[in-house]
Amino acid sequence: MRAGAADLTAYDLHADQISAWRNRSRRMRYGTYFMVAALIAWSVEAIVIGDTDWDRISWASMFKSARQFMDVDFSILGSLLTPAIETALMATLGTLLGLVLAVPVAWLGAANISPLGKFSYAFGRALMTMSRSVHELVWALIFVAAVGLGALAGVLAMGIRSIGFISKTVAEAIEDVNPGPVEAMRAVGANRFQVLLFGILPQVIPVFIGNVIFEWDVNIRRSTIMGLVGAGGLGLALHRQMSAYNYGGVATVLLVILLLIIAGEIASYLARRAVI
Amino acid sequence: MSTIAPAAVKPLPEWRRFRFPQSLYKYGAVLGAAGFIWWSLDFLRIDVERLPGILGRMFDVLSERYWPPQVSRVMESGYIEAVVDTFQMSYVATVVGILIAIPLAWFGSFNMTPSRRYLYPVARMIVMSCRSVHEMIWTILLVAIVGFGMLPGTLAMTMFCIGFSGKLLAEAIEAIRNGPVEAIRASGANELQVFVFAVLPQVRVAWTGIAIYTWDVVFRAATVVGFFGAGGMGHYLRESVQRVESQEVAAIVLSIILIVFAAELVSAWIRARISRAIA
Repeated sequence: MRAGAADLTAYDLHADQISAWRNRSRRMRYGTYFMVAALIAWSVEAIVIGDTDWDRISWASMFKSARQFMDVDFSILGSLLTPAIETALMATLGTLLGLVLAVPVAWLGAANISPLGKFSYAFGRALMTMSRSVHELVWALIFVAAVGLGALAGVLAMGIRSIGFISKTVAEAIEDVNPGPVEAMRAVGANRFQVLLFGILPQVIPVFIGNVIFEWDVNIRRSTIMGLVGAGGLGLALHRQMSAYNYGGVATVLLVILLLIIAGEIASYLARRAVI
Repeated sequence: MSTIAPAAVKPLPEWRRFRFPQSLYKYGAVLGAAGFIWWSLDFLRIDVERLPGILGRMFDVLSERYWPPQVSRVMESGYIEAVVDTFQMSYVATVVGILIAIPLAWFGSFNMTPSRRYLYPVARMIVMSCRSVHEMIWTILLVAIVGFGMLPGTLAMTMFCIGFSGKLLAEAIEAIRNGPVEAIRASGANELQVFVFAVLPQVRVAWTGIAIYTWDVVFRAATVVGFFGAGGMGHYLRESVQRVESQEVAAIVLSIILIVFAAELVSAWIRARISRAIA
């Protein structure tokens, strides 16, 4: 390309712009690195130097504490069967509750079918965030306070905690449905409910079921800790062994938890393969 | 059925979505599910007769005992320091956890792993086992081993972070295009060079997003690890719960919800900015 004088000026200007942009982005990058490093230094200082009493902790003491867990106490194994089943059932019922509650929330939070437009959409999205952004332990505490000790609090906590994930993914699936069947339903005179039931539902069912299975798997993990705040299951057994300083028993409970989680993972893998 | 068959001879049967055998399976499945729910409610000793009206009773309990939240509790300087501690724990845990998770993600991604026979299953196993244990159980274990304080909380959340981000980072690697990888490999690069020059540039943006998202999830967990003696706001929550100071509990829970919500907004904002800056 032959450049005239004017072109050259334009070219220089462009080069200047590029180098200015590069300098700026380099400065920004180094600034970010510096901030990340400074925050790390500040936080590590607080955690490792400020808050940890190194006179008390030594490799020997840590090793000794870890050693206590190695004497697995198999004598309590028999008494763990009922809590293990309870944990699995709590997770299942919690997921079912979450599934039932997630349907209306997904309906509100899907932009294309939200019944009252922007208003109900924002409400649905707020419900989803609310459900997801509170840790399951906090939900469990709230429900233990509200309905008392026992498995019901755990089921409710996991149900509420599951709404967020299920309804969010389903709402996103509803937003991307193929409009063809919806229009077809509308064209044959279906009302809103019928459009939902026959136009949208069949398209989102696979996503819905897949995510419910995934959430069930996660809920098994969650339900193992529900007992720590009084909501039944293996967590309660863990809490008891912990309060009795029976570290061998703690190790046994942990092994049972691990087995249950592995079983749940296998079951959810098989279920997903069977359905999808 | 051929097109010219005399349709009028046989009246069309009433249309049904499910015919005889399927309808039986359907009712059987519904009945089975109902039976299962009934049995598990019974097994969990949940009193079914008390379930109706539960919402009203819950509202009564919360409004009588937990309302109004005692805001002065969360305005104490100790509590505000605990919020800072929580932030520090979550931050260190995320950075360290991601740094450990990066090689694990590289070894544990099926397309890019240097050795499919040995490294791949080992890396997958490590990430899986970090993932399958709930973060609170890590906390309890590490508090028992290391003692009370922020260190066990940070370690516990590092484990959680490895499990959580390791899977997402590896999935991002598995989604890259193979062209650059082959080009770099054809120029004689070794595995590490392939990773640095072909994989990293492709996953950089996705990984940044994942890192920030992970921080936001780790922060949520960090607000409650203190419940088991691992520093941060959870410690205050436990104190108030044990003293049955319901209005303090309400204030702390509300403050946790607000702070986590703010963290989520910040994380979403940064992620949106990054994806805008790249596009």
